[in-house]
Amino acid sequence: MSKGFRQSQAFLHTWSGMLLGWILFLVFVAGSLAFWREGLNRWTRPELARIEQPMRVLAGSQAFLAKTAPDAKSWFIPIVTDRMPGAQLFWVPQPKPGEPAGRRRGRGRRDTQALIGADGQVAHARDTRGGEFFYRFHFDLHYMPVIWARWIVGFATMMMLVAILSGIVTHKKIFKDFFTLRRAKGQRSWLDGHNATAVLALPFHLMITYTGLVTLMALLMPWAVVANYIDERVVAAALFPSAAAVERTGRPAPLIDLRRVAADAERRLGAPASFIEVSDPGDAAARVTVSQSFGSMLSSRTPRLAYDGVSGRLVWRSPMPGAAAETAGVMIGLHAGRFAGYGGRWLYFLCGVAGTLMVASGLVLWTVKRRERLPDPTRPHVGFRLVERLNVAVIGGFPLGVAAFFWANRVLPVDLGGRAEWEVNTLFIVWAMSAVLAFVAKPRLVWSLLFAATGVLLVVLPFYDIVATDRGILDMLARGDLVIAVIDATMGVFGISFLAVAHRVARHRPSAKRVRKLRSAEARVLEPAE
Amino acid sequence: MTAGDLHARARWARRGDIGLRVVAAVPLGYATASLWAMALARILPGERTEATVTATLIALALCAVAAMWAFAARSGWRALWTLGVAAGIAGTIAWVSIDATGRL
Repeated sequence: MSKGFRQSQAFLHTWSGMLLGWILFLVFVAGSLAFWREGLNRWTRPELARIEQPMRVLAGSQAFLAKTAPDAKSWFIPIVTDRMPGAQLFWVPQPKPGEPAGRRRGRGRRDTQALIGADGQVAHARDTRGGEFFYRFHFDLHYMPVIWARWIVGFATMMMLVAILSGIVTHKKIFKDFFTLRRAKGQRSWLDGHNATAVLALPFHLMITYTGLVTLMALLMPWAVVANYIDERVVAAALFPSAAAVERTGRPAPLIDLRRVAADAERRLGAPASFIEVSDPGDAAARVTVSQSFGSMLSSRTPRLAYDGVSGRLVWRSPMPGAAAETAGVMIGLHAGRFAGYGGRWLYFLCGVAGTLMVASGLVLWTVKRRERLPDPTRPHVGFRLVERLNVAVIGGFPLGVAAFFWANRVLPVDLGGRAEWEVNTLFIVWAMSAVLAFVAKPRLVWSLLFAATGVLLVVLPFYDIVATDRGILDMLARGDLVIAVIDATMGVFGISFLAVAHRVARHRPSAKRVRKLRSAEARVLEPAE
Repeated sequence: MTAGDLHARARWARRGDIGLRVVAAVPLGYATASLWAMALARILPGERTEATVTATLIALALCAVAAMWAFAARSGWRALWTLGVAAGIAGTIAWVSIDATGRL
């Protein structure tokens, strides 16, 4: 590789990474947390008992829907595992005459969903979005139309892919660099830290970035579809096949016991089922479609079986996807990591944390490198100050907002109207206050203040749970419910880490000797990147 | 012309060059990748849905390659015209193919 090529890619790496770095930081934090989506869904609803008999929940779900929405267009029923807080049902009412029948209209509407608990009855838990918030925020952001958000996140992801590829070109001694960690050496240490977190999880970063684009490909890159199809519904039907639609007959007929259908489907699939869709329940034309669990295979395109809803006869099975469709399905499956057990989830989560640190250290490196070259380091120009303050506001402020979200989940009154949204608002209010602080006070002070506050919130939370709930670490260990105990413990460990970083930042004094040394021409020659 | 003027002129030339490269990398890079998605979707062998998905997966990677090329090319203008030619070839393939056999 020529020197010119490497230099051009260094420039590209610096600027593509820097300009979208703040968005990428948010996406990395939320995505890492989303690997614990199910665990957080349980952690945020401490009043719910752990599920022990999934089939009892399924029977309860069917009974509830038969009573509440007997003539719905369709029901959507998850088959739960002991990792979930309960069965989050939703249903789509019959379209009124003249109204288009949209399959997705039922989603997100409060009056057409319910949570069924371990005992098969409607569960009364605090109103919260739990882990779902982080999953959604990861690509839908918040307070804005989801399509805009997905374009913003998609664009940032493409820049991330560019930053990774150009970063590999830039760091020619990438593996040697990886084994080099110079501590307390200012800029060199930031560079080493950036390299270490990047190279350590490089296969993960490349995989997660490209597959992230694949999850959004229908939105970001629809042109291949346009080239081949006049009506894009044709390709959607080919890629996501479903059983031929049946007309509602108007003749009532009792729906088969869904537990029987689920058991038959699991036997035929040879794997656990995770989702049931019932169309026209209570009608003679009722259909029951069962999907194989995401947890049972790598691809996100899991096989499905359709049954006659009255007789329970198998009427359709989804065809094997083609090689390309299967490849795309596997990529989406790899991105979401739903196939992974607890060990795999930890690997995903830790790689996500490494990615977060890579983005954060890259952003900080931008300022560290330029500070030494400023004409007057005590009075930097506007662009430098903006980047420096935004770094504090995002890298310091967002984690504090997340910690506040967890606290809001514990302390907001249970009967507060719009409680779930107020948990989320708490995150953004705390974050906004942090950002204001970042722009009015000295960066070093705000860095340590925000990290210390995040650390304190996270360290105290497990103790709060021990004192104020019956779900403290010790209770959960005694009951053998490790997930909740581990989430509490992990928050504590992260809290201690935040406190340690806050301590280091507060103690840090840039040494005059190092500044002189870095200003020397020799140091400048050593710099590999722009 | 003083040394200061020359310096300022060089700086503006550099900024202009970077501007051209950004145009080449982002809107033109996306357009080039999109046209190649269309061309590949038409010419890849096999079943149509399969070719469509394969073309889309390749085009996502092409976006990143186009952006890297936009900054690796000797000059901003060169980045623009090379990507323009690549886009033109793909556009022609897609156009001729759709015109000849139509869409599903």
